[in-house]
Amino acid sequence: MNPFQLDIEGLENKARSIRRKIIRLNADSPAGGHTGADLSQVEIVTSLYFRLLNCAPDRVTDDTRDIYIQSKGHAAGGYYCCLAEAGYFPEDWLPTYQHNDSKLPGHPVRQKTPGVELNTGALGHGLPVAVGLALAAKRDGSPRKVYVLTGDGELAEGSNWEAALVAAHYKLDNLIVINDKNKLQLAGTTESIMRTDPLDKKWQAFGFHVAQCDGNNVASIVETLEGLKAQGQPNVVIANTTKGAGVSFIAGRPEWHHRVPKGEEVELALKELADV
Amino acid sequence: MSNSEHFATVMVQCFIDAVNKGVDLVPVVADSTSTSKIKPFTEAFPDRLVNVGIAEQVMVGTAAGLALGGKVAVTCNAAPFLISRSNEQVKVDVCYNNTNVKLFGLNSGASYGPLASTHHSIDDISIMRGFGNIQIFAPGCPRECKQIIDYAITHEGPVYIRMDGKALPELHDENYQFVPGEPVLLRQGKQVVVCALGSVVHEAVAAANTLKAQGIEVSVVNVSSIRPLNRDALAHMLGQSKHVVTVEEHNVNGGLGSLVAEVISEQGIGGKLVRLGVKDGDYAAAGDRPYTRKMLSIDSAGIVAVCQRLVSEH
Repeated sequence: MNPFQLDIEGLENKARSIRRKIIRLNADSPAGGHTGADLSQVEIVTSLYFRLLNCAPDRVTDDTRDIYIQSKGHAAGGYYCCLAEAGYFPEDWLPTYQHNDSKLPGHPVRQKTPGVELNTGALGHGLPVAVGLALAAKRDGSPRKVYVLTGDGELAEGSNWEAALVAAHYKLDNLIVINDKNKLQLAGTTESIMRTDPLDKKWQAFGFHVAQCDGNNVASIVETLEGLKAQGQPNVVIANTTKGAGVSFIAGRPEWHHRVPKGEEVELALKELADV
Repeated sequence: MSNSEHFATVMVQCFIDAVNKGVDLVPVVADSTSTSKIKPFTEAFPDRLVNVGIAEQVMVGTAAGLALGGKVAVTCNAAPFLISRSNEQVKVDVCYNNTNVKLFGLNSGASYGPLASTHHSIDDISIMRGFGNIQIFAPGCPRECKQIIDYAITHEGPVYIRMDGKALPELHDENYQFVPGEPVLLRQGKQVVVCALGSVVHEAVAAANTLKAQGIEVSVVNVSSIRPLNRDALAHMLGQSKHVVTVEEHNVNGGLGSLVAEVISEQGIGGKLVRLGVKDGDYAAAGDRPYTRKMLSIDSAGIVAVCQRLVSEH
């Protein structure tokens, strides 16, 4: 059971709070950050950790807990802000992000940070490991669900499609892949660098049940994820998002892939993200 | 020889025994059911094997996930593809995540001889030594192989086992007890110390026997445990002679030759080192085992010649 089970308004408030944390965390980072990627996934991780996931800070070793894997490991900052908001570790860890000897390094490390399930950072690793976790749960008759969040640029990594074959072959309907489809990657638009569209047809061809949602709208995410049924196929949810969502001067701008807010940008962003 | 056995056969029996003892062991293969000789296992436990098809990256990633899900995951496929194709999965999903995965590199070295260099793994030890926390073993005979595998299955954490592809006879009698980290002195002699691992240990022993008949006394050390390694014990054995020869069906860079060079220099032991194996910048020849080994001077005749030369120089 999820310990929060927030309603839509509660999730929206949490998402805003997490966004404010993301701005401060990146502003305090001595080594830059992935602000755009952090912001695009906020509603997805918020919906998972505050409503959907059967896991809690006091159950991080429970064998039946649901597993969330942050395959787009470069958005560790956003992930950390969500975990801190949910109580997995003290919020005063956040200003140490990417500092020397921090428990919050630039990509997730499960040996360092409570709540992190898998060390990622090299792309295309989350889905194959999620397949193994889902397979183990199936064989044990466990109610566990395995969620894995990928970027859309990340889908150029071939290991994802090897794993997709295996997931469908073994009928892993306890596996839910979420593509944070923000349409931007390091060097520009995903469309211009390596096209993934039509993404839904690709997943369908690989044997997945495909759903789509507005990935920056908690109501849309919750409705879509809660509507998934175990029916002998792995699931993918294509979450259409905006990179840098929530802050007007970051949203949709590729230069914010590896940029952090500085000076008056911090105050401007926090002002936009204030509770109404 | 009558008591020769394929390591893969030994491996599969270890798996069967482990499951019968209650170990939740899951083999993961990449279409490598014949390579791993896994049929007795699938006959005993029809629903346990995971076959991901010809896809090494997801083989290793899936194994890591199975391990995180509580299983003892063992991957079984040809060493060259395991090491090279899924290199980053081994590094990240297995080693960095410290998952309970045992990687079996089958038909390692130049076991696939005539199939040429795509099928040779002459870099696996050097690559695994570059990863922080994985234990690394290279058994030389069936008894040692069984004991290493039994140990690996009970050890919590990543293990790589370099498995030769040919049936090999025993090096030890039934009193042998594998101890992780310990080099094993198989022959004792003061004039040269020959260190070897895996199937070429047999070449080293044959060479020692030939040399003894010629009045040249050489030690043979089986370094089957690469990590962990009792470096003091190895240094003590190396320090018994002015000459050290390493023998490996592997590149001399990063493998046993490099390891022994490190121990010699770090421990301040004198003497000259000759590293036999695939030379710097080279590949193993394509050909059968006797041919390949002759080309690399890692057959018994090659080892004899090197030892004779070293002894005659003094």
